[in-house]
This record gives sequence, structure tokens and C-alpha cells, in this order.
Amino acid sequence: MTLFLLSPARQQPDLWHPAADVYRTSWGWILKFDLAGVCLEDIHVHVARNAVTVSGVRRDRLMEGGANHYAMEIVYNRFERTIELPGTLEHSRLRLDYRDGILFIRISLEETDHD
Amino acid sequence: MTEQLSVQVLPALPLKNTLLFPNLLLPLSVGRPSSLAAVQAALATEEKEIILIAQKDSSVENPAQTDLYTVGTKAVIRKMSRPNDSIIEVLVMGVERVVVLKLETGQAGYLEARVTPSPLPHDTGAEVEALQGAVIELATRAIELAQPQAPPELSRMLTGNEDPLHLTYVLASILSLDLAKEQALLEAQSRVEALRLMHAYLSHEVQVLELKSKIANSARSEMSKEQRDYMLRQQMRAIQQELGDKNSDQAELDMLREQIEKADLPDEVRKEVMRELGRLEKIPAASPEHNVLRSYLELVLELPWKTATEDKLDIGNARRILDEDHYALKEVKERILEHLGVLKMNPSAKAPILCLVGPPGVGKTSLGQSIARALGRSFERLSLGGLHDEAELRGHRRTYIGAMPGRVIQAIRRAKANNPVLMLDEVDKLGRDYRGDPAAALLEILDPEQNKNFRDNYLDLPFDLSRALFITTANTLDTIPRPLLDRMEILRLQGYSEEEKIEIARRYLIPRQLKESGLTAEQVTLLEETLQKLISSYTREAGLRRLERAIGRLTRKFALRFAEGNTAAVTIAPGDLAEMLGPEPFTQEKMRRKLPVGVATGLAWTETGGDVLYIEGTLLPDGKGLTLTGQLGEVMQESVKTAQSFAWSHAAELGIDPKLFKNSGVHIHVPAGAIPKDGPSAGITMAVALTSLYTGLPARSDTAMTGEITLTGLVLPIGGIKEKVLAARRAGIRRIVLPQANQKDLRELPDKVREEMEFIFAERIEEVLENTIPALSSRLKLTAA
Repeated sequence: MTLFLLSPARQQPDLWHPAADVYRTSWGWILKFDLAGVCLEDIHVHVARNAVTVSGVRRDRLMEGGANHYAMEIVYNRFERTIELPGTLEHSRLRLDYRDGILFIRISLEETDHD
Repeated sequence: MTEQLSVQVLPALPLKNTLLFPNLLLPLSVGRPSSLAAVQAALATEEKEIILIAQKDSSVENPAQTDLYTVGTKAVIRKMSRPNDSIIEVLVMGVERVVVLKLETGQAGYLEARVTPSPLPHDTGAEVEALQGAVIELATRAIELAQPQAPPELSRMLTGNEDPLHLTYVLASILSLDLAKEQALLEAQSRVEALRLMHAYLSHEVQVLELKSKIANSARSEMSKEQRDYMLRQQMRAIQQELGDKNSDQAELDMLREQIEKADLPDEVRKEVMRELGRLEKIPAASPEHNVLRSYLELVLELPWKTATEDKLDIGNARRILDEDHYALKEVKERILEHLGVLKMNPSAKAPILCLVGPPGVGKTSLGQSIARALGRSFERLSLGGLHDEAELRGHRRTYIGAMPGRVIQAIRRAKANNPVLMLDEVDKLGRDYRGDPAAALLEILDPEQNKNFRDNYLDLPFDLSRALFITTANTLDTIPRPLLDRMEILRLQGYSEEEKIEIARRYLIPRQLKESGLTAEQVTLLEETLQKLISSYTREAGLRRLERAIGRLTRKFALRFAEGNTAAVTIAPGDLAEMLGPEPFTQEKMRRKLPVGVATGLAWTETGGDVLYIEGTLLPDGKGLTLTGQLGEVMQESVKTAQSFAWSHAAELGIDPKLFKNSGVHIHVPAGAIPKDGPSAGITMAVALTSLYTGLPARSDTAMTGEITLTGLVLPIGGIKEKVLAARRAGIRRIVLPQANQKDLRELPDKVREEMEFIFAERIEEVLENTIPALSSRLKLTAA
């Protein structure tokens, strides 16, 4: 599994890195990113030869007027996460799905569509 | 990617003493009201962004734009919490470097900064790589020095850092540089510049760390010895406590204090001693000073400040003791008894300082002991022979290492009484050099007016020496400095005559030597003739040391014989001596039966007694002047010239052909040639020898003479009469010519000698010539008439 978990040094150090799950299926990969509170339009997905990069901004929009922070643990502002995968992704197909604060990326290595 | 606004307005947070580098996390505690407002405002935004700018002067509470640097860092607040109402703690992540375009306090009371990003050019190349390598190397070294136990990940992290800029930022945060340096790094215009700065900082840091570790190492090795000592001492103390012992140092001090309190000390001394004791208590026992002080206090305590022995002033008893210990020495004993008499009548009388002068072995030292015994005082002897350092007498000041009290105080300490008989031996052999003149120190010690308050340099307290009886001894008075001589009462001990020696040998030396050899008087008998031979042929001295040694040799020989089982009593006859002691070492200067022309018999005084001296003269035809041989001293040479001038000026009366003086030289020789001779007492002998030479008439061989001559022919008195007479007698001469003024000295001679000898006293040289050159007497009488 170490193959998938990239060393933080390779990543932009000033950004936050959302947690991710990676699944292997008979047809390819499923990637899950914890992006709670991030608007879909603020998420960018980029596919390189053998890596998928998710980046974007989490903005604190759920604010009531007149409220002051008393504690803050959720990390806002720009984030980025790159997952490298074995083999080339050049002929694969991606399907994005954003549900309950989790971004799903399905990567089908074959041309055939399973779902 | 989010779109980058080239200019942004964001809340600004001034930082004291620190700043935030891009890509690094920094926890902050915010307390200033304006800063709290700024953080609140930043948190209220969607992206939680804030500008961090370092304050130039950390003491400014409400900084304006001029108080802050113009380059800061845009940061995102990652976390925040409020431990209480007045403080917000935040964790910020630096995002990028920004330049502050404008800074002003907004309506909400916090600073708002108008900033624009200021990214560094992405410069790469050989220089960057080289610098990066060097920086990593230095940083690794610095980490090793600063934290030898640092986890290896730290240095691995450094090498793994690909972006040199990030590397310098990480290092800067680890190194805790001062703010100015950090700001300079933040403001660096390129990676190369940033790396150079970091390289400079690091090399300085490494130097400091190396120095620090060097210092720490040396300090550690020094400390460990001291710590070890300390630990051991603590343990010792603990053990002593456990055993119920009091601290030994303290116990010692207590004992000293008790002794001081008990001791009978003069007030001044007690005061000083208590003060020194106070000092001692403050000095740790390990200090060398401690020992110095303690031995000083012990000395003060041991000194007999008020202790004195009681004098036994029974004159009859004293006389008996002196007679018991010493034969003869009538006059000296009488003088000593006189002093005892004075002491008895007036106990506070100042004790005289006696100076016993005489040849070696006549009993000066033992006489001192007898005086002490007669008085019932303790006796201490210190030899001054060869002493040439004043400090030996008066002590060294305590400030010197190894300082000791002077010999006088040491002797008093040994005597355990402040009125001992102190014998200063060999006072004529005092040396003197650049270290001072011990004779001068003696002046003070021997002056009854000054020695009441004698101050030893070591003791540094006045000690009363006036109750001590000082006796000095010397072989000759010539070398004693005048002022010293003036303070002393001179008692001369002459050499002993043969009769006296025989008596002393019989009474003291033979019994003593027999006892030492474990023999009794019954077993060995020494005939008087044997003793006589022993004295005249085996020894030549004024004193008795060689005689005693010779007797010792004899008794030991018999002890061996008895030890071997031959127990028959023996009597030693004169004839046995050659066999037992070898051939006679001294052939007597026997009276020469017939004297040739130009020879006269003189008498000399030597330190070992007297001697017969033949003065020989011869004419050197066609020679010139006067030749003198036989190691004659200057005074003796002058008396030869005086004698010659006298003869010349009286040539007519003496019947001398004046041409002889002009046409021939004279050679005078005085045997034995190897022994230096000096003094004026051979004057008349020279005159007789020269007259005999010039007139061609021989002098009488049975007559010896001594006396000083003047140019006009007067005969002046000389010293050492007793020794000279005894020497003449030893040589078999029975007729002696002496200066008239010396007649009184004959009292010193034993009666028997006086009876045996014929003395002729002369006032003028004519009388001498008359009595020594028989053929001349008729001529002189003729001219006199």
C-alpha cells in the first residue's frame, strides 16, 4: 500500500491534504476523497500519466452573522492531493461523483463501461 | 487553481521577535486587542487568510506601518482555540511571501494590509546546487554539535529537501536566529542570496557551537575532579556523623581554642592568637593556608611566654659543678661565678653575654653546658658556623611558602623556658652575603636593651629574650664584627699545657673512653709517661680532641683483645704506642743544637696552640733588595723591613759594614714553607736573624724570642704568650726573651712551667740582641758606655 501513500515532501507543503481511500476493482480503481464542506465548483481533478490530482479550496461559507470562532479545527483554504497509481491511465475513463461530502473518482481501465 | 489576486487587502498581525516563513507552521499566542481583532476578522473570512509582519522593535505595543518590515508572509489559520477570553491561540501555515503596499488601522481597530505576492525567481544552476550542498553539510555538523542525540530523520529531512528555499526556511526556524537575520532571509531576492545568507549564518553557528563544546568539555573534566573531591568529603562527613564523631576539622579547631584559652599568654599575644584563630575557622581545611596558620598557632602556643626555670643560685654548688666538669680554666670559672653572684644579689640584672674564645677542643661548648647545669637552666645550642642568611636567625615572614621561625625562636621553643642558656657556637664563622648580614641580626638579639622585644619575622610578636643567658664561642676574635664584639664579655680559654692535658686525660678522657669501650680502669692502665708521649708525639693541638681520639683508639684495641678472650689486665707503656698507633705522626720541632749565622728562634701562635719557628736569613752577594719566602703575610713582611732598617740605621753600633746593605741582597725564609704566617710578633726575631747575618755572629740556640719591633728599636707586647711558652717548652727550649709589657701574662702559666723556664724581659731591641747573640754583648756594652 505504501505505493499509494505519497510522501508529504513531494506535495505542496503550504496546502492541506484531504484524506483519501483507494479501492481496487476488477475493472479499475475507485478513489474516495474526504472533502466535506467543499463546494463542487471549487474542486479540480487533474489526471496525469499515472496519477490523479485533486485540488481546490474549502471556503468557510456556513457562517451565521454575529458568530465568532471559539475554536477551529477544520482546515480551510487551498488543498491538494495527488494519488499515484501503477500503470498508465492514458486510456482509462473517469467518472466523478460528489455525495455527502465525499468525492468519488471511478477509473475504468478498460473501454467497457460497467456501471 | 484558485485565481491569484495580484493585490489583496487582508487583516495584518504584527509579530514580536519572530516571523513566519512560507510553507512552515507557526503556533502563535495572540493577546494584543488590535491583534485579537485582526485574527477574529481573518477567521470570519471564508479562506482564513492573514498577513504576518515582523515588528522592527518588539517594545512597540501598537505598531504603525513604519514600525513594521515591508516584507511579510501571507498565512492561513489552520487551527485556533481560546484558552481564555483574552488570548487566542492559532496555528498558522505560511503560504507565500508578500510585499506590504499599504498598512492602516481600519474601523474595526485592527491593521489592514494591502499586499501583493512577491515570489522569488526560480533560479537554479550550479551555484545553487553547490551552495545547497555546502549548507546541508554545515547544517548536519551544527546538528551533531548542538544535539548529538538528534534523530537521524532530521538530517535525512535536510538532504531530502529538494527546494533549496524551503531548506533554508526550515533551517532558519531550527536555528532560532535573531529576527534581523530571519527577516534578511525572508527578504532575499533569490535562492542564491538566501542560500548564501544561510551559509554565513550556519558557519558562524558551527563556530560558536564548536567553541561551546570545547569549553564544555574542558569545564567538564575540571569539574569532575572537584566534584569527586567534594563527593568524597561529603561521604567522609556522613561516615563521621554516622559514627558519632564530630567533624574532625571542627574538633581540631575546638581543641586549639581550648588550648589557647588555657595557655598563659600575654594579653597582646592572646589578642593576636584569637584573631588568627578566627581566620583559621573561616579557611577550609583543604586550603594550604589552613596548615600554615595552624602550625603558626601551634608554635605560639608552644612558646614559653611566661614559663621560666628557677635558677639555682647556690654559688658553692655551682663552683663544685664547674670544677667537676672542667679541670683548670681557673680564670674563666672565676668570671662565671662572679656573674652568678651578681644574679643572686640582683635577680633582675641583665645577664651578660659571654664570649668564650679559644682554640678548638679546649671545652668551650662543654663549659656552656656546665654553666647551664650550675644554674639549673635548660641548655640550647645553635651553631652559627657558615650561617649567611639573616632569615635563619630572624625567621621568614609567614607570607612565604615554607616559612619557619628563626633559629633563636626555635631554640627557645625546644628549651621550653624563656630563660635558657643559649649557646651561639662559632660566632666568628658567620657568613654574609646578599641575603643580609646575620651579624647585624645578632646585634639585636644580643643587645639587652633591644632583645626585650625581639620580633621574629615569622612569629611577628614581641618575645622577651632578655632573660636568656647568651654564651657565644669563637676560635678567634679577628673575624667578629666590632659592634658585636663590643656587646660581649670576652673570656679567653688558652690551650692546655702538657701537665694540664695529662691531668684532664686522667680525670675525664681515659675514664670516658674506657666506659665507651666497655672496659674498667683495672683492666687497662695508661702510664703517665705513655700519656706524655701520646700528647707530645701523637697529637699537636691546643685542645684535647686528638688526644681523646688517640686514647679511644687504644681502648678499642684492648676491647678487641678482651673480646677475643685475652682477659689479663694490661699496662700500656710508652714503647707500646708505636706498635698500636703506628709511627709518631709528629716529629717535634726540636731545639736545634747549634744555629748557623743568620738564624734565630722565634715563637708563633697558631689556632691549634703555639709553635717554634726558625727564621733563616742569608746574604746574596752582588744581589739586590729583599727576598721573602715562606708565605709571609703583609704585616710580617713589613716587620722584616722594619728590622732591616733598624739594623741598617744602627750599623755603626752593631759593628756592621754598611757596604753589606748596598752590595748584597738578603733572602729571608720562614719554614714550614707551606703554612701561611702573619703577625708582628716575629719582629725581634727578624732583627736578631738579620743582625746575626750582617755581623757574622751566630745567635744562641737555647733561646727563643717573640715581640714586635719598632723602627727606633722599641719592643712592643704581643699576644698568645701561654701557647708560645708551652711550645718552646715542648721543643726543649728553656730560655725565652719576651717584651717587658708581657710580664703580667706569665700568670696564666702553670706554676711548674714558670719555675722551669728562664724569662728575659726586654724593652729595647738592644736588650734582646745582648741576650741572644753572646758575641755581640761586649760590643753593645762598649757603645752603650
